[in-house]
Amino acid sequence: MSLGALSDAGARELLDPASPVRHHYEELADNLLGVEETGIVVVTSPDSGAGRTSICLGLGAAVAGMGRRAAIVDCNLENSQLHRMLGEPNFVGLTSALGDSKTLEHHGYEVVPGLLVVPTGPILSDPASILENEGILKAVRYLRKSRDLVLLDAPVAGGVLRSPNLLGGFDGVLLVVHASRTPKDAAREAADALLAAGVNLLGVVLNGCS
Amino acid sequence: MTSSSGRGWRNEARDDPSLSEILYVLKSRRLLVVGVGLTLAGIALLFGLLREPVYVAEARVSVVPQGKLEGEEARLAFLEEVRGNVVTQKMLGEVRRRAGWEDGPQAFSERLDPETFAGRNGSSGLRVRFSGEEPGQAARAANAYAEVFVTGVDDLGDRLLADGVPVAEASVEQRAVPGGYSPRPLIYAVVAAGAGLLLGGAAAFVLEGRASGWRDVRDAELTLRVPVLGTIPDYSLKRFEG
Repeated sequence: MSLGALSDAGARELLDPASPVRHHYEELADNLLGVEETGIVVVTSPDSGAGRTSICLGLGAAVAGMGRRAAIVDCNLENSQLHRMLGEPNFVGLTSALGDSKTLEHHGYEVVPGLLVVPTGPILSDPASILENEGILKAVRYLRKSRDLVLLDAPVAGGVLRSPNLLGGFDGVLLVVHASRTPKDAAREAADALLAAGVNLLGVVLNGCS
Repeated sequence: MTSSSGRGWRNEARDDPSLSEILYVLKSRRLLVVGVGLTLAGIALLFGLLREPVYVAEARVSVVPQGKLEGEEARLAFLEEVRGNVVTQKMLGEVRRRAGWEDGPQAFSERLDPETFAGRNGSSGLRVRFSGEEPGQAARAANAYAEVFVTGVDDLGDRLLADGVPVAEASVEQRAVPGGYSPRPLIYAVVAAGAGLLLGGAAAFVLEGRASGWRDVRDAELTLRVPVLGTIPDYSLKRFEG
């Protein structure tokens, strides 16, 4: 897949190594990879519109650009954005891997060298029950074996708090807040709730700074 | 600028804001805090300057009981009883006459501040303060009160008061002298400035709690008490920066 084929200019910007925002993502990648045991990271936000999918794409591309292997798995089953942002169909993906014996590698595609993207795939049943499928844990952990960093583009914090798999099944949570769209009290409540649930809250990304 | 940590974030109680959080909020909204403080100080200063100047004079009357009274409380109770027996409307009328007061009894009483005292060294008596528009007037009124009070105590003679103790002696221990200017405008301004800073600080915290925008990394870290691993600029703007 070439960058020029991308329909969304924002996604092109995030994946382009020459993009002016790339070094911000590289700094984020450095800091995140510097945290111990951060192989599989759940990326969430206090509410919608904070830019979780953009952060996942930019961060994944930065990690790939640093010569490491990254993957993004779209776990936002109720409002999947990743394939839309990339202008790709959603015929196969995470849910496909749960239904057959193939790996997530098989159901994803590389958008830039070293960055695998796995969309949600078709959602035929209750998204919440899909997220609680133990197969997700196995599939993502298996994917981790071939990737330095796996980013799970997760639902908002409320959805993560309702999902035992996302809460405790992986290495930690990265909270995305938007500088102008995320209310402070909502962010504070989300951080408090995640910490109270025993989540390993790795840190915060402040998105959309002026 | 971002901060990084080597480990995941550890849970931390956030019941009370930390000192650094308080200082950060005050610093980031310093214009509001200082503005409220200065505005209130200015209003108070103006109010004080527009009001008439106040001069305070003080006289002291020594009152010694004939018998021995144990403890400050007993001596203060004795002094209050003496005062209750001596200070009457008639006595106050005499004080006003001697002081040359013309504005009426209510205004006189508002400016008069008599207070009993009982020191640990055995001294006891009455401290009379008067706030006047002129230094001489204040001193005259305080001295007139002290003198008439002494006369009133003398007139009590050997009447038994608290605990059956008669008054032995009363004298003007210290006469009031003109000149004590009370710089009320400055005091008002300082008090108002202090109150304004507190009010401005409280307003800063209220606004901070309701704010939806995030200023910077420090703001996010202090609000969430979680390390900020990265800041991403709005690339829709960045695209046009060239």
